[in-house]
Amino acid sequence: MLKKIELKDAVGTKLAHDMTEIRPGEFKGAAFHKGHTVCNEDLCRLQKMGKNHLYVIDLDEGEIHEDQAAAILADALAGDGIVWKDQPREGKIKLLAEKDGLFAVNTAALAAFNMVDEVMCATLHNHTIVKKGELVAATRAIPLIMKRAPIERAAAIARQNGGVLAIRPIRKAKVGLVITGNEVYHGLIEDRFAPILSEKVKALGSEVAGVAFAPDDAALIRKAIRSHLDQGCNLLMLSGGMSVDPDDVTRQGIRSAGAGEMHYGAAVLPGAMFLVAYLGNVPLLGVPACGLFHRITVLDLILPRVLAGEKIGKAELAFLGHGGLCKDCEECVYPHCPFGKGT
Amino acid sequence: MEDFEVLLESSAEAHGHLCPGQVVGVRMAMLGCRMIGLEEPRRHDQIKKLIVYVEMDRCTADAVAHVTGVKLGRRSLKFMDYGIMAATFVNLATGEAYRVVSTEAARSLASAYAPEIADKSLQQLKAYKRMPDSVLFRVQKVRVKINECDLPGPTRYKAFCSRCGQVVRDQREVIQDGSVLCKPCAKESYFTDAAEVTWPDMNWKPECSVTQSRKDAKMAETNCY
Repeated sequence: MLKKIELKDAVGTKLAHDMTEIRPGEFKGAAFHKGHTVCNEDLCRLQKMGKNHLYVIDLDEGEIHEDQAAAILADALAGDGIVWKDQPREGKIKLLAEKDGLFAVNTAALAAFNMVDEVMCATLHNHTIVKKGELVAATRAIPLIMKRAPIERAAAIARQNGGVLAIRPIRKAKVGLVITGNEVYHGLIEDRFAPILSEKVKALGSEVAGVAFAPDDAALIRKAIRSHLDQGCNLLMLSGGMSVDPDDVTRQGIRSAGAGEMHYGAAVLPGAMFLVAYLGNVPLLGVPACGLFHRITVLDLILPRVLAGEKIGKAELAFLGHGGLCKDCEECVYPHCPFGKGT
Repeated sequence: MEDFEVLLESSAEAHGHLCPGQVVGVRMAMLGCRMIGLEEPRRHDQIKKLIVYVEMDRCTADAVAHVTGVKLGRRSLKFMDYGIMAATFVNLATGEAYRVVSTEAARSLASAYAPEIADKSLQQLKAYKRMPDSVLFRVQKVRVKINECDLPGPTRYKAFCSRCGQVVRDQREVIQDGSVLCKPCAKESYFTDAAEVTWPDMNWKPECSVTQSRKDAKMAETNCY
């Protein structure tokens, strides 16, 4: 429990917690740290901070201090690739990415964790690409002293499925591109898809192992896909032929190449006609023509997740709907915008 | 104990329908029994060790009773009318007791755990299967003092109401101004204006020396008496 003492009686006692000082527009931070022994010189500054009383800690059995609680919470929240230091500042512990990768949040478990009284954790959005050392979350227990049991229940919730927070490494894939369309194949227009897709692939650390061109002919599209697979490509990307036109036979080609699972349509604009298929374990992403026009599309939301090993199915494509509408701003500031942040 | 899904199916059948409360109740009972070390509560050697206090008369109560096998008439099921989604599981052999409380947070979290389901009841049903026990419940270790007169077994004590003569079992009598009264006479009953009546077919009985039905009750009366 906490005992309240008057400031005048506080000289010689140790502070129970960091004392935050806020000078508007100038400073916010710990003016005094936990454990500091109050001396006469401190009294004036403490009064200016509005402190006329201080707490002295007297822990009962079954009670813990916020710093201990924060460490228990941080330890439980941190899954693969998340690190933290047991150096709470003002009761908070920061959780950092241990490596480059895709930040993954179990959002249901995070909500359940935050529903426990007296604890909190705030994170970056799920599926954010992060660099080693980047701050991804912070946690704290809210009161200075609390019962241990609720903290441990919150920790148990946080630990489910290996921790609420994780960094999934983004693998380096060997990507095979298939550019479809008679107009490109027959040289009527110059292909612009291959450079755009290649740039996105390289930006995520993967390599384009080969680019194949195919006309709107299911058999030839099939052949191009099989050829990439034979050469060891472990991720395929196809462009064009995804719409409802009679000439758009790309899906037939993918099916005949042996795709078992195929999901056509994503709740994203731009990118409604996006396709995800799996040929054995090899993912195949079908990029509609919007990828030529818009800088950022559904592909930018899904490609990092695929490279981070996530299996994309109907539900994943459907859940993108909330937040899946690009505002098509004059100046695109993605990823610093709401696009794709709803899941 | 049987698998969760097997228990849920039989519980829903016994209760009359499958609902989120059944999922919570089955899981509450499984957890409670595990906590007190009686994992086969319906087995002969364990059933006599178990007492369960349910704090609500909702679907969940039926599921708890079904999974554990506790019964009101066996005095192993106690109804405490608190309106709280909770039940306490007592091991009479060890004295251990745990109170399992269904969290209100679980209701708010259903949409997070089953976002693909729009129907509220179906969403809760699915979500309550997906949530870990830590989200669905809080558990308290408690001490339960059970009076001898509340234990299973034969009636240990009978009193007689000094006003109406009614036999009152198990120390449920009330002392008012030095007199022993049954609760109705002490005005502690749930009913009022009690007036004795007669009813048609007053002499019907399920068994007698010849076949009878309500229709020929009159004839049966002649034959049976």
